[in-house]
Amino acid sequence: MAVIGEQFVGQTSNEYREKYGFSDKIDYKFKTKKGLSEDIVREISRIKSEPSWMLEKRLTGYRIFKSKPMPTWGADLSGINFDDIYYYLRPTDNKSSSWDSVPEEIKKTFDKLGIPEAERKFFAGAEAQYDSEVVYHNVREDLERQGVIFTDTDTAVQKYPGLMKKYFGEIIPPTDNKFAALNTAVWSGGSFIYVPKGIKLTMPLQAYFRINAEKAGQFERTLIIADEGADVTYIEGCLPADELINKGDSLQRIAEVKEGEMVQTHTGKFHKIQKKFVHHHSGMMLEILPLSKANGFKLTGEHPVLCIKRNTVLTKRRPRKSWNPEVSTLALLKAEPKFVRADDLREGDFIVYVAPTLSEQSQEFDDITLKILGLYLAEGSVSSNRALGGIKSVAFSFGKSKKEAELATKLNTWIHEKGWKASMYKSKRGYYTVTSYDKELIDLCDNHCGRGAELKLLSQKIMRLPPQKQKILIDAYWEGNGSVHERNGKKMLRASTASRLLAYQIQEILARAGIFSNLNLRRGSIDFIFGRKIMRRDQYIIEYAEGREMGEVRGRGNQFFVPIKHIKRYYFDGDVYNFSVARDESYLVKGFAVHNCTAPIYVSSSLHSAVVELVAHKHAHIRYVTIQNWSKNVYNLVTQRAFAYESAHVEWFDGNIGSATNMKYPSVYLKERGAKGDIVSIAVAGEKQVQDSGGKMLHLAPDTTSSIISKSVSKGSGITTYRGLIHVAKNASNVKSAVRCDALLLDENSVTNTYPYMDVQRDDATITHEATVGKIGEDELFYLMSRGLSEEEAMATIVLGFIEPLAKALPLEYSIELKRLIKLDTSNSVG
Amino acid sequence: MKLEIKDLYAGIDGKAIIKGANLSMKEGEVHVIMGPNGSGKTTLAKTIFGYPSVKVTQGDVLVDGKSILGLTTDKRAALGLFLGFQYPVEIEGVGFVNFLRASKEAVSQSQANMKELMKDIKVWSGELKMDDSIIGRALNKGLSGGEKKKAEILQMILQRPKIAILDEPDSGLDIDAIKVVAENINKAIEETGVGMLVITHYNRILSYMHPQHVHIMVNGKIVADGSKELIEKLEKEGYESFDHR
Repeated sequence: MAVIGEQFVGQTSNEYREKYGFSDKIDYKFKTKKGLSEDIVREISRIKSEPSWMLEKRLTGYRIFKSKPMPTWGADLSGINFDDIYYYLRPTDNKSSSWDSVPEEIKKTFDKLGIPEAERKFFAGAEAQYDSEVVYHNVREDLERQGVIFTDTDTAVQKYPGLMKKYFGEIIPPTDNKFAALNTAVWSGGSFIYVPKGIKLTMPLQAYFRINAEKAGQFERTLIIADEGADVTYIEGCLPADELINKGDSLQRIAEVKEGEMVQTHTGKFHKIQKKFVHHHSGMMLEILPLSKANGFKLTGEHPVLCIKRNTVLTKRRPRKSWNPEVSTLALLKAEPKFVRADDLREGDFIVYVAPTLSEQSQEFDDITLKILGLYLAEGSVSSNRALGGIKSVAFSFGKSKKEAELATKLNTWIHEKGWKASMYKSKRGYYTVTSYDKELIDLCDNHCGRGAELKLLSQKIMRLPPQKQKILIDAYWEGNGSVHERNGKKMLRASTASRLLAYQIQEILARAGIFSNLNLRRGSIDFIFGRKIMRRDQYIIEYAEGREMGEVRGRGNQFFVPIKHIKRYYFDGDVYNFSVARDESYLVKGFAVHNCTAPIYVSSSLHSAVVELVAHKHAHIRYVTIQNWSKNVYNLVTQRAFAYESAHVEWFDGNIGSATNMKYPSVYLKERGAKGDIVSIAVAGEKQVQDSGGKMLHLAPDTTSSIISKSVSKGSGITTYRGLIHVAKNASNVKSAVRCDALLLDENSVTNTYPYMDVQRDDATITHEATVGKIGEDELFYLMSRGLSEEEAMATIVLGFIEPLAKALPLEYSIELKRLIKLDTSNSVG
Repeated sequence: MKLEIKDLYAGIDGKAIIKGANLSMKEGEVHVIMGPNGSGKTTLAKTIFGYPSVKVTQGDVLVDGKSILGLTTDKRAALGLFLGFQYPVEIEGVGFVNFLRASKEAVSQSQANMKELMKDIKVWSGELKMDDSIIGRALNKGLSGGEKKKAEILQMILQRPKIAILDEPDSGLDIDAIKVVAENINKAIEETGVGMLVITHYNRILSYMHPQHVHIMVNGKIVADGSKELIEKLEKEGYESFDHR
């Protein structure tokens, strides 16, 4: 078994060397010499042109670092040589404000990381730390407008001295531990985030870090402040683009969309597709069928979809027999849609149809032109007559009713008003036709509406017109093609088209005008007319009710919340697609918002010692997610702490897979009544790795609650240690805390330790602690092997299953990466 | 395929459990082993599959004349043997369909045709009157005792073994479910020609099945072999009459 472990580590580190462990030659503008002294600390501060108060903090940190002994508990840190580390490297002169000005070598490094154009891969604006300095940084404008500050910590020192003086080192003072002191002395980069009162960010903020130079240290410093009622999720690290297994819709259209083209995102704006991913997928596929059935789309289970869960917006009313629980319109309209894995969608949940917000005026279309185009959409066709040498004509065919005759006459008049020629005639059977050979008119119809019933398509220019202009066209279209009927005293409008794309376009235009229309497909069939067999084409039926009455659909701004009627699952084998879209990292599938899958991580170096401070004020919520996958020669010694004030909620999601030695115990200080802290910790220790992790909860006020869930896997000589503290202060009445740690051992000689410290100074505290240590069970292995799985496959299956419940709660890309890493681990051992 | 158990002695932790078992069966045949609780029926099944803590002290288990005692459990499965468990284990986080696929591929040593597999799952889970939510579930997780048993039968059918050993496929099932399970076992026999060794200590399931061979196991020994009439004798006289210790 140990041999198997060796193999795994060997292979992985090879892979790392090849794939991520490279080191580009970078021309460092500033590089302190190896080792640490007061002079070096001063030099770092000088290079950064820092104010004196920051230099003072650094020097204090340095002195404490010198005076503190190495910790005598926990993992063995004797391999760290503080004199053999570069404490500061700065690759370029200036921080780049645009991607173009980022130096080529650095771009190359990002390319190798699978982040071809790093700026474009961000969820919501993020920063890249290249060695010790931030080289690129991008913040979404709308964040800025809301007063959100998201910048690198160095910039924050210069621009926000007030906030920095108040909070920097307040949560984790340099006296806390030797490595926090070291970080205080030499820190560089990291993120600074301030979310003002009441601002809730739905998209996570993200940053990624990498060490390039050998023997460089990485000492980023992150400070996140969520003011009263604010909500923020921060993700540290990223994943390689080429590892993405995520897919989008399998529609032909998506297959044809090219990189560089613009697509609409969930915000209703248009952004460029930076990268397109094609993958072969053989497995489960979901088909989500919303109320408007023809909008149904297919995607894989991991793909996130913008959604409001039905159970979060129910009325208090008792559910009626055999009815779906009733939804409160008020709650629905107030709810904030979130991205949810398609797997987790249920029938009745609301998904989000987004109408585009971008519009451009164009002089090309006056009202009459739009009316003509509307009628062309409904009744017109362009054809060329070969007998006459390919002369093109446009014909509008009408019925034989009086109304149709009037419409044909109106059209004829409009065309003439525009100065074009046309003629109108009545066929023997009584049908009216308006025909024109006018090149200008033909080109207009051709260019903006397409030709042939199935290929009709509105031009981008028309799709970008302001809604009120588009409405003119649509009204004419409806006049030509639609029918109106009454249902329950309401006027229902209905039209049908053989052009699938046109149907979606009309739906989009109506949505821009605030109307949600139902789209249904009537399948083509064989029919007989006058004894002649004909094939009826597929027809798309567009239907809506006048006014804003939309049945079960509710709208807010440019979003419509549409209930899912049915979810189908089936097996799929073929190519699937995914895009990386600038800025919003989302796109729409048949109008519905889905998220793209992104991200990155990496490193190769010797010491990573970061400090992360979080402050969650009254009612604020912070979620901090990190999965460290440093190469297996790194000491990862990170201090993470949060202060949670009245009714605030802090979540740490901490995954530890990489590094040689890891010591990390995120903590939450529950400082005021009602504060809540949650820690989820996953640790995987392979051969020779030490994962010493866990969490601390300090209950310093009444009615505070906390939970720590830890799952660890040890393999070969790997050691996992859970180290946790639950402290309940004398004045903290009515505290609830639950700790659960499960460890799984894969080998006879792998080790796990559990050190749950409790310091409870009250009798009324409810504290539960559960710990399990599982070896892979004989019965489970036997069961899987009796079905033909080899021992190694059986083991991999069990390990993945063990992690799955937590992995599932992770943001998508991490969940995938985590599973991939673990699978790599075990699949390599299949000999 | 021919499965032979020859003068088999085996035990766990030094305690003898199987004390001289003999049995021979072929593909296409339906055998039943009946015996009281603790008579060693389950251990016999586990021995055939190489459960690690069962140690064989004497005798042999042969497939087509070759001993399989040196093979690991998965290799025995690859020969075309299937074991339906009395108590199937729950495995957290492992998707049922993924698992079926993996096991099918492992046994057949070729890539599974997922389209067909999904179709088969749908058809047979329908036949077994199972809730098709099982498709999205973790392996046996949260299933009732009865559903777990049905899931075993489903796996057996999809695996297409040559000989299947079903350890108490009827325990924990209500009367309706017993009938459904028995009918599906019969159907599998009919359609695939699988040889079936059913272990049970009730004869209820047997009233829906047509075993050609009945073996009575008492205290680690096969003490009687015969046809269906043995069951009637058992009904009347109980196991005691077979116990010749």
